[in-house]
Amino acid sequence: MSYNILIVDDSGSMRKVLLKTLRLSGFDLGECYEASNGRQALEVLEGKWVDLILSDVHMPEMDGIEFLRSLRQIEFFKNTPVVFVTTEANEDRLRTLMELGAGGYVRKPFRPEEIRALLSQVMGEPHGGLAGESSEGCDF
Amino acid sequence: MVVLQERVLRDVISEVLETMFFTDVDFEECDTGSLPFEYGSETLLVNPRGCIVLNLRMGEKFARMITANFLGLDELKADTVGEEELVDSLKEFSNMVAGGCHAHVNDADWKLGIPRAWRIGADTTDSTSGLCGICFEFLGEPAGTAFLRYLPGSGGSAQGPESN
Repeated sequence: MSYNILIVDDSGSMRKVLLKTLRLSGFDLGECYEASNGRQALEVLEGKWVDLILSDVHMPEMDGIEFLRSLRQIEFFKNTPVVFVTTEANEDRLRTLMELGAGGYVRKPFRPEEIRALLSQVMGEPHGGLAGESSEGCDF
Repeated sequence: MVVLQERVLRDVISEVLETMFFTDVDFEECDTGSLPFEYGSETLLVNPRGCIVLNLRMGEKFARMITANFLGLDELKADTVGEEELVDSLKEFSNMVAGGCHAHVNDADWKLGIPRAWRIGADTTDSTSGLCGICFEFLGEPAGTAFLRYLPGSGGSAQGPESN
């Protein structure tokens, strides 16, 4: 089974790093979408299905908390797993994310195995085999 | 009140560079204002009473190398890294260092701002001149500097003056 994913981060470099991490973690990737803030992410999601969203918290225009809050108001995305990869250290804000239904969070800087462990917990074990960087799908 | 110390800054920079940029640096005493670096970045930590400004300055060679490492490119091709990718990666470096400092502050009042980075031009005002900071070296060569400043009464917004 391949996963359609959306990566939301205002840093294009970080989006590339996260995509690479997903590939190296053995997740079979289908369509990959990207957005540089929450507002753009909501636009990208119009008319699309994604299995997983990776998002930053600190972003201009619409941050990760507002994005998650807005996303959960859309019936179609009420249960879509959203994992945050963030520098956020404020316990209150992290608690808010979890209360809004985040699947979990990983603090930056992160090691690839931290992302993999959290995603395995949220999505189940990857089926694409480990450490084999797939060249299929998701080329941004 | 400056709640962060040099030791914290060193530890955070080391952790970020090792974990995400696959680079080890050494820290040295130096006159931070006298080193001619090509790239700068800034991230604010803000609370209602003031803000802490984190400034990083880096040499181009070092900046290119860590960008290549970050993006998983061949280090030998660091010269081909585009300016946009370079600045974007330095923003992310600054963001992660400020985030690490934020974690050490351990105070819910502080909010992390959005980082910015830029190429230092001849006409750029160097706002870090004359301040205390730390220097880091890579393979014995000056690689960059880091400064923390506390500005009382500057709180209220977690975005830098030129944040995007």
